[in-house]
Amino acid sequence: MKRLLKMRELSSFLFLIALFVIVGIMNPSFLSAENIIACFNESVVYIIISVGMAFAIIVGEIDVSVGANLGFTATVVSCMLRDGQNWALAFVVGIMIGVLFGLFNGWGVAVMGVPSLIFTLGTNGVMRGMMYVYTGGAWVENLPADFKALYTNTLVGDISVCFAVTAIVVVIVHLLLKNTKRGRYFTAVGDNPGGATLVGIPAVRTKVAAYVICGVFAAISGIVFSSRIGFITATSGSGYEMKAVAACVLGGISLSGGVGSVIGASIGAVIMASISRLLVFMQLGSTYDNTITGVMLITIVVADALMQKNTAEKNRRERLAARTAVQGKGEM
Amino acid sequence: MSGKALLNIKDVYKSFGINEVLKGISLDLNEGEVLALIGGNGAGKSTLMKIIMGIYQHDRGEIFVRGEKVTSNKTSAALANGIYMVPQEPMLFPNMTVKENIVIGFNKKNSELHKELTDLMKEVGWNLDLSRKASSLSIAEQQMVEILRGLLRHAQILILDEPTSALTFDEVQSLFKSVNELKAKGIGIIYITHRLAEVFEIATDVAIMRDGKIPLRGEVSEFTREALVRGLLPPDAQDKENDIRENLKEVDYSAKPVFELQNFSGYGFTDISLKVYPGEILGLAGVIGAGRTELATTVFGKDKVLGGKAILEGKDITGLSTKKVMEAGLNYVPEDRHYHGLFKLSDVAANTTSAMLGEKPMGNFLLNRKEEYRMTQKYIDDFRIKVTGQDQAVGSLSGGNQQKVVIGRSLSTSPKLVILDEPTRGIDAAARGDVYAIIHQLRNQGVSVLLISSDMEEIVELSDRVMTVCQGRINGEFKGEDINQDNLMAASFGITKDTEVGA
Amino acid sequence: MNKSFSTKVKQFLRSWEMVLLCILVLEFIIFGSVNAKFLKPALLFNSMNDFMSICIISLFVTFVMITGGIDIQAGSIVGLTSIIIGVAWQDFGFNIWNAAVLAVCVAALCGALSGFFVAYCGVQAMVVTLGGQFLYAGIALLVSNLASTASYQGISGFPDYFKIVSKFKFFGIIPSQLVIFLVLTVVAYIVLHRSKYGRSIFLVGVNQQAAEYSGINTRAVIMSTYVLSAISASVAGVVLTAYLGTAKSDLGANFTLNIITAVVLGGTLSTGGKGNVIGTALASMVIGLLRFGLPLCFKVGTQYLDIPVGILLLVVVLGRSLSSHPSTANLLAKFRKGKQAQ
Repeated sequence: MKRLLKMRELSSFLFLIALFVIVGIMNPSFLSAENIIACFNESVVYIIISVGMAFAIIVGEIDVSVGANLGFTATVVSCMLRDGQNWALAFVVGIMIGVLFGLFNGWGVAVMGVPSLIFTLGTNGVMRGMMYVYTGGAWVENLPADFKALYTNTLVGDISVCFAVTAIVVVIVHLLLKNTKRGRYFTAVGDNPGGATLVGIPAVRTKVAAYVICGVFAAISGIVFSSRIGFITATSGSGYEMKAVAACVLGGISLSGGVGSVIGASIGAVIMASISRLLVFMQLGSTYDNTITGVMLITIVVADALMQKNTAEKNRRERLAARTAVQGKGEM
Repeated sequence: MSGKALLNIKDVYKSFGINEVLKGISLDLNEGEVLALIGGNGAGKSTLMKIIMGIYQHDRGEIFVRGEKVTSNKTSAALANGIYMVPQEPMLFPNMTVKENIVIGFNKKNSELHKELTDLMKEVGWNLDLSRKASSLSIAEQQMVEILRGLLRHAQILILDEPTSALTFDEVQSLFKSVNELKAKGIGIIYITHRLAEVFEIATDVAIMRDGKIPLRGEVSEFTREALVRGLLPPDAQDKENDIRENLKEVDYSAKPVFELQNFSGYGFTDISLKVYPGEILGLAGVIGAGRTELATTVFGKDKVLGGKAILEGKDITGLSTKKVMEAGLNYVPEDRHYHGLFKLSDVAANTTSAMLGEKPMGNFLLNRKEEYRMTQKYIDDFRIKVTGQDQAVGSLSGGNQQKVVIGRSLSTSPKLVILDEPTRGIDAAARGDVYAIIHQLRNQGVSVLLISSDMEEIVELSDRVMTVCQGRINGEFKGEDINQDNLMAASFGITKDTEVGA
Repeated sequence: MNKSFSTKVKQFLRSWEMVLLCILVLEFIIFGSVNAKFLKPALLFNSMNDFMSICIISLFVTFVMITGGIDIQAGSIVGLTSIIIGVAWQDFGFNIWNAAVLAVCVAALCGALSGFFVAYCGVQAMVVTLGGQFLYAGIALLVSNLASTASYQGISGFPDYFKIVSKFKFFGIIPSQLVIFLVLTVVAYIVLHRSKYGRSIFLVGVNQQAAEYSGINTRAVIMSTYVLSAISASVAGVVLTAYLGTAKSDLGANFTLNIITAVVLGGTLSTGGKGNVIGTALASMVIGLLRFGLPLCFKVGTQYLDIPVGILLLVVVLGRSLSSHPSTANLLAKFRKGKQAQ
């Protein structure tokens, strides 16, 4: 099965490469190291938020409040930094915001049993409004230059420090999720909630944990977002929730839960982040961005659903067929 | 058998609401025993197992594991006590590997677990590719995974709930081999089954469960098949004569059959041929899982027909859609009332008329409320459905009244043949009598009935003619005097006397 | 059926719609007492123009949610409709009415596409309509690029006889948008609560399996609700375009929260099977008045308005899950029993 799982991620990765190659054929100037590295560097915010979303989706739920979470955290952290507060304090506050988001959503969905889309949609609305309350609708600007430099600092070549750190974190999270006992709980709960309870896995607590992790990652993505953009508007982060879901789906995470990995989500995030850049090189302009995203999203989920439906049906029929076969052999 | 006592159940009672499911159950399991637990559907077997697993709490009585009284009622406590149940439908994580499925929930290191697991597999002599995905396993393999899960938890009491119901012949053999190996290791096994033949092949002890009690138990060697069959029947089974039937019209078997299946095959059943005559009640007896329901739903246009023909009043209805089948004059009262029958949030009127929504009298575009009211009131009066009004939500009715609503719905299309699938399952005695009266009423009106049931008493009481289904095939036909619970029960459990085979 | 008038009245008094009606009255009292301007008919009616499109869409998204689905693409269809009208009229020389009909047809196709994936391929409605949101907003943007004017400016200069659709005032005061909404409410009510089709929508929502066994073509029913909600979104798009006098591709982009809140607040069960057009209509008015009253009377900035709406949504869904929680349900049952015993 490792092979199979890898295949899901691998096919996303191959899809990414294919995209690059196709664009490269259409416009050879795209295929420069500089360009490709830029694609990865620019996708850090998407990667972080999608990794968090991956947790929510793997346990079989969804969190569409990550956009507001990103925006709100970015606002609060940026304000603190602008006012000369201690960086560490600002980051801790930011992450606490993420934790609170996660606890609230986890409570509503896992404990109270409200459908996750509706609940997190409500949270999203409230918190986006709170952003206005916090800033009075004004832009948050004049962030310290060295904070902004966090995002642009590069390591070897053109690879940014930010991307390198993110990549390492993603790999670590991946290993934790796949290889530790508690890590496997997430997949198990999304895969078969009833079965999880039977072997003694705390389903509700696992779901709350998934939401908290999702919230924390969204908060971190908010901090990175501030560093990258350098100013926060009242609409910062809106639409990211949808892009994160799309990234997860592109990365091979099944929306019915139980299947997928954060590496897949990251690859999906790179695809999502690169689309606008790719479109520019295809001389289509970024106006195709949403259309392409929509088409990809729908195609993948429909294909996935049809495949699952077929396997389920095949299994059912095999079972039924097995019953009649018994006597056939027994009579001999 | 004389091993150390593993499990002692003393006088356990359990009720759900007013429905008493377990009425004083006592059971013992010792090391190295395989206790076959047999009984009809609804005898209370699964409730008892769920109590042992700590999923339900018993009302009265005591349970001892290795001599110690069980106090905690949690699944985790049962697991810690070394009890593991392999459910009838394995509860695996389809997207995980075999190994992950087995080791999930343990606190130990991965490498240790791996070693333990491979040792364990060597010990029981099973060969499973641990890196395969669970969704690619056959049912037998899934059951092996479930058993391994239990063994790795050092389970000493293993409950197998109808493990062979979805297995092929070879798989059954390999399962039996494993059970024998486990028995040799001193593990106690409770083996729930519907197949009497298996009892003699695999079990050391046997207990018969009927109506929430265990009237018979002992070592297998003390029993014969006939004795087991007798034990499955209520004690007064033979005494009942069917006086109701004497008042009824004779069925004219020279007439053209209303409904005919010719070598009908589908998923879950093969090569079924039968005829239903006008005004006849044909009983189709068999245990749950024998393929009766699959047969009915396939006729009703819910699944693919693999071969053969279904003919209703000379018209070929093979493979038609549900709507077309209904229009042709056949309707079906589903086995699973809650899942396939009821609209619980909707009111009685909406439920009753749901099948005739497409018909003219209900209006062209707008709902004809008058017609809806008339039809609903007709069934409420005819069937004596107890409601506070037509606008009462069906979910708040009692089981018997719910079932009457579902029967009313399927009659609203004025069918020529009604298939009733377990029409009295889970309803009380009074409602059962009402349902029987409805069925007789139908017969008198010339409507043919195909009655599917695992309740032999019901089949005997109602049917003019009976066919038995076992493992997807018809294995017996009974008429007149031959229709008795002994014969039917034996045939349903796959025991066919030579004289009756070849129907 | 043959209930006396008084029991009917009693039933109504205990219904959720009555609660909504009370909230509505309460809004009038509170907002009116803080700022008397709120009660000025001209101002009040005028304000309704700003949220009528949300009300119209909510009516038919109710259909979708009764089947157990959800529709978060409706907002993007508003923009798509608007920009198609603009571009077809300005750049392709369509008669304005033909342009509107074309837009409605395209919207119906969009709804059919999403509905097909939900009903026939078994994909979760949420994901399909999420993809639809991207796709149709994206297409709207592409269509706007066909125009000779820059997309952020929108397309304006529509003939007066088109703008009158939304600008006409009956008796000099009642805006035509409100009339359109009321007419659509009646239509939606008849279709959902009085027609055979509406009955089948409920049955599918309560138990799709049982509906199949009743011979109902459940897939077609499910798909059709998405078509209806898309058409209603496009009608809202036409009305909004006429009202603003400008066609833009991003109209309706932030409607989703308001629409879902209106439907849920209106008493529709998010798991399907239960719902009410009148409830939705009242709830959408409650939200609309909130969006009008809060800025006017409490100086709440319009950007903050998602907060009360979001809180409203959270409170309703949490309250409902609390009341269906076994412990509370038991408590309620005991309470009722106690009452009956007296």
